[in-house]
Amino acid sequence: MAIMEVTNLKKTFGDLEVLKSITFDVQKNEVVAVIGPSGSGKSTMLRSLVHLEKIDDGTINIDGEYLVNKGAYASPSDLKKASTKMGMVFQHFNLFPHLTVKENLEMAPKLVKKVSAQELSRHSMELLEKVGMADKASAYPSNLSGGQKQRVAIARALMMQPDILLFDEPTSALDPELTGEVLSVMKELAKEQMTMIVVTHEMGFAREVANRVLFMDQGEILEAGTPEEVFDNPQFERTKAFLHRNLK
Amino acid sequence: MSLDYILTILKPMLQGSQMTLLLFIIAIVLSIPLGFLLTLAVNSSIKLLSLLAQAYIYIMRGTPLLLQLLIICFGLPMIPGIGQYLVLDRFTAACIGFILNYAAYFAEIFRGGLLAIDKGQYEAAQVLGLNKFQTTVRVILPQMFRIAIPSLANESVTLIKDTALLYAVAVPELLHFAETAVNRDFTIVPFFIAGIIYLIMTLILTLLFKWIERRFTFE
Repeated sequence: MAIMEVTNLKKTFGDLEVLKSITFDVQKNEVVAVIGPSGSGKSTMLRSLVHLEKIDDGTINIDGEYLVNKGAYASPSDLKKASTKMGMVFQHFNLFPHLTVKENLEMAPKLVKKVSAQELSRHSMELLEKVGMADKASAYPSNLSGGQKQRVAIARALMMQPDILLFDEPTSALDPELTGEVLSVMKELAKEQMTMIVVTHEMGFAREVANRVLFMDQGEILEAGTPEEVFDNPQFERTKAFLHRNLK
Repeated sequence: MSLDYILTILKPMLQGSQMTLLLFIIAIVLSIPLGFLLTLAVNSSIKLLSLLAQAYIYIMRGTPLLLQLLIICFGLPMIPGIGQYLVLDRFTAACIGFILNYAAYFAEIFRGGLLAIDKGQYEAAQVLGLNKFQTTVRVILPQMFRIAIPSLANESVTLIKDTALLYAVAVPELLHFAETAVNRDFTIVPFFIAGIIYLIMTLILTLLFKWIERRFTFE
């Protein structure tokens, strides 16, 4: 069952076509990895799914609710309804620096979902436990390493109980030795059947964890398929060249 | 120079300091919120409001405070027709002048604080489902104030010293009493004492802001 359907997504910045008619869908419980060179439009595409970028044309349907229908955005309340089905993990974490780790997790559900303090506290500690950050619950983000920040950011996104979790290059801002701890949390989520769309430069992760890989180049999805199809048997020269550069 | 003499002149000077402090407190308590409202107005999506706020800030920062005080104290009453209703008690007039002037500076400080906040903060708040109001109050303002504290401290020290401008509109404050004593007794000791009193006030203020800064360090 498709939980997300994206059809003919188009976006231009001035004369530059950033997204040229992007079409794909995401099945429930599926992990989709989006790979491709810098500037290929991966991040813009991902950000447009949560309304952080406005698209010029196309349709985005999240679990039966239209975010955009043929270029026309839904009403603010419907937009919000569709958006709350998705969580987002950013390259630069974007934790709230003035709140502790636990407060970072609890603020949004407290304000948006009006959950009781007790229930919130139980849920946040459970998630911090899950990402291995329970002992840092009362620390401020400035005292955490990049890997720890990203694990907290993942827990914060999970607090809203999204149906789909989007990752925008979650390990690109990390020191190489810290990417492992974040990737293993993501693998754990994949094992639990979390639906995820991951824009990444981690080819190993894409190959090992993703059910499907989209290769984007110059604003379009050039190639899509299972990791085996895309990595081992790419059809296009541009895919081959990219993989050749990145698999060494 | 006897201790007795110092004690004699200290009494009126401390009385003058009360005026100084009173002006300082009134000005800072009212100009910080007003400055904050100005920042919101500058950033408003209502073009006219934003332009008016920017023009206000430009005028208030672009002309001397002394000139503004003179206009409020002596200029307004001279306006034909309505002038007679604009005759204010000097101290009140001075307070209004300080509040209006300092609000413009504080507005610029807060604006700087806003600009320093990463746009990722707004994005994270949006994706988590916070509305605009919640984002502003819960995410942006606390960070803006934290960034603004050192500049607020700096501006507050300037405000303490600017209270000496009361002298020019003949409100008896610290400097006024010091000068009276200097002229009367033909000694510059009162000036030094005035200097020391200003230093003590700015020291207390500096320590207070250091405490606030520590209190709001998120580590």
